[in-house]
Amino acid sequence: MKKVLGVLVTLLLLITLAACGGSEDEDTSGDNGGEGTESDGPTEVTAWAWDPNFNIRALELAEEAYDGETELDLEIIENAQDDIVQRLNTGLSSGTTQGMPNIVLIEDYRAQSFLQSYPEAFYPLTDYINPDDFASYKVEATSFDGENYGLPFDSGVTGLYVRTDYLEEAGYTVEDVTDITWSEYIEIGKDVKEATGYNMITMDPNDFGLVRMMLQSAGSWYFEEDGSTPNLEGNPALREAFEVHKAMMEADIVRLHSDWSQFVGGFNSGDVASVPTGNWITPSVKAEESQAGNWAVVPQPRLEVDGGTTASNLGGSSWYVLNTDGKEAAAEFLANTFGSNEEFYTTLVEEIGALGTYTPGTQGEAFEAGDEFFDGQSIIQDFSNWTEEIPPVNYGMHTYAIDDILVVEMQHYLDGRSLDEALSNAQDQAETQLR
Amino acid sequence: MKQLMKKNNIGWLFIIVSVIAIGMFYFYPMFDALLLSFQSGMGANLEYVGFGNWSRLFNDPTFIQALINTTTYLMVQVPIMIVLALFFSVLLNDETLKFRGFFRTAIFLPAVTSLVAYSVIFKYMFSGDGIVNQLLINLNLIDVPIAFLSDGFWAKIVIIVAITWRWTGYNMIFYLSALQNIDKSIYEAARIDGASSFQQFLKITVPMLKPIILFTTITSTIGTLQIFDEVVNITNGGPGNSTISISQYIYDLSFKYTPNFGYAATVSYVIVILVIILSVIQFKVAGDKE
Repeated sequence: MKKVLGVLVTLLLLITLAACGGSEDEDTSGDNGGEGTESDGPTEVTAWAWDPNFNIRALELAEEAYDGETELDLEIIENAQDDIVQRLNTGLSSGTTQGMPNIVLIEDYRAQSFLQSYPEAFYPLTDYINPDDFASYKVEATSFDGENYGLPFDSGVTGLYVRTDYLEEAGYTVEDVTDITWSEYIEIGKDVKEATGYNMITMDPNDFGLVRMMLQSAGSWYFEEDGSTPNLEGNPALREAFEVHKAMMEADIVRLHSDWSQFVGGFNSGDVASVPTGNWITPSVKAEESQAGNWAVVPQPRLEVDGGTTASNLGGSSWYVLNTDGKEAAAEFLANTFGSNEEFYTTLVEEIGALGTYTPGTQGEAFEAGDEFFDGQSIIQDFSNWTEEIPPVNYGMHTYAIDDILVVEMQHYLDGRSLDEALSNAQDQAETQLR
Repeated sequence: MKQLMKKNNIGWLFIIVSVIAIGMFYFYPMFDALLLSFQSGMGANLEYVGFGNWSRLFNDPTFIQALINTTTYLMVQVPIMIVLALFFSVLLNDETLKFRGFFRTAIFLPAVTSLVAYSVIFKYMFSGDGIVNQLLINLNLIDVPIAFLSDGFWAKIVIIVAITWRWTGYNMIFYLSALQNIDKSIYEAARIDGASSFQQFLKITVPMLKPIILFTTITSTIGTLQIFDEVVNITNGGPGNSTISISQYIYDLSFKYTPNFGYAATVSYVIVILVIILSVIQFKVAGDKE
């Protein structure tokens, strides 16, 4: 009797296993095109990215511009950034390449985290691109251990978007807000509020983008140059950023928001007089057509610490190739388009206003054209010039973890805790938590 | 005897599929997560650290804050919700009440809404220029809008209000169906003996519903310990860390920061341990001797 049972159980297990195996086979043929790899047909390349109007569109334009030798069949899959991060993490940590893309877009702040957490998972592009062609801060962010893993894409170069009509009402000109310090910015903000009743800036207390902007503009970051030793307590740039933040709050020139739509609503409704942020906000600013001619873009204010500049970066991402079948084709595709095609960058500017970080591709008429919305200012040329001045910093592995620690300490600092205590607490937490 | 053996074996055959499936997809991952909780490292570079993760837990201010927040939700929200649900169910069980069906549906309706959808609506209702603030201002109760979502205390209140709204109706349904099973003659006898409505509620309804109350308390406790959607969508843990829940911290550790799945698994096991402890306590306090 026992024997019969044994046989039955074995049979059952076999059936289950066979079923699993069977479905796996189906998956492979579905994802990678089983026939395609055997015959001489085009190589299938899958790419994951977010934002249909920007990154996805850029990929589509790249596919059109591609003229390399290998025939490609590019499949572009749109996912939200958070979903991409999640799927990459689960996929890569389980050690499988099943269902993973060939090309993936990763935000620069997270790049080191992926490169170091999953060694071997990414394919070095060192042989495919010339790093000197790209803005140095981008190369720094996308390289690890002497190899270039990322192909630098969009610039997160920052600027200060200002409402010229509000400034005028308060007795200021655009020149008055160009190349200023953050303290001067706050003083102007007070005058603007007095004259017009509008706040100078809209801010999300949980989002540390502004602080990160200030840090990078002074060539500093949350970490020492090694990218892993927290540098918070004795970081003069961070101290000043905290002080500026508190001074803004105390000057009562801040409108608070808690999500993206409220942020955009802040300037579209005319509630704030200026927006210091990355150049990717341009389409959202221009969305409110009634404000045409009332905006200008100037370099962001600078910190007063040594090395404080008016150029910085916020956000921005780069393309990576996963170390799987089809990696050569994927790398060739990227190198042929984003990595060397100057014309393609002109198309990007004309079609979607996307500003790349490929230096040879930042000249030409498309860049010099004035923008009527900004009263004829050639903002793309301006942004492009500022991109070259961005101080490179090592974003390290834990930018978002430090963000969360600092957000809490900022709250304490605003509630009256001393700056020394707040930053030394943050330093202690960072040291015990990040490992 | 032989016949009996055969019968048993066939019985085993029937359940073997689910036993294997449950073992593979339920117990194996649980055991693996336990192993994982003794490892630490970034992404795929995990190594065994013994009890390192556990000692890290007690020095981790974010975890402690998340634990305090989650316990606060639990201690405040579950009792309020259970009492409310009991109250509603007894009211709606009254046969003389008109439009009973309508009221039942109205109170149960929140339970079928999507967690994310209702969270987003609550977020907008309680924002600076949201409908709640406008109502309070128009009623002249306040002069300036209350910063519901950027004040630590109020943000917690909003979360508690939201989950109470979402889950009261769900628990009410359990009580309503249990109430149907209480023999009406008991109430009749009580009335003849001169018991007031309140006495009837306290001395008959509550004791008769005791097993259901225990059941809903335990499921609500487990649910609240795992709270994620509401916190992420309404406040995203803010301001600062003042509304972050344990589940959200697990998510952050795995996906927002440089992933440390080992430590995240340790934090997950804290929820498991809490659920076990709290359930045992609830059984001891409310359960029968058996």
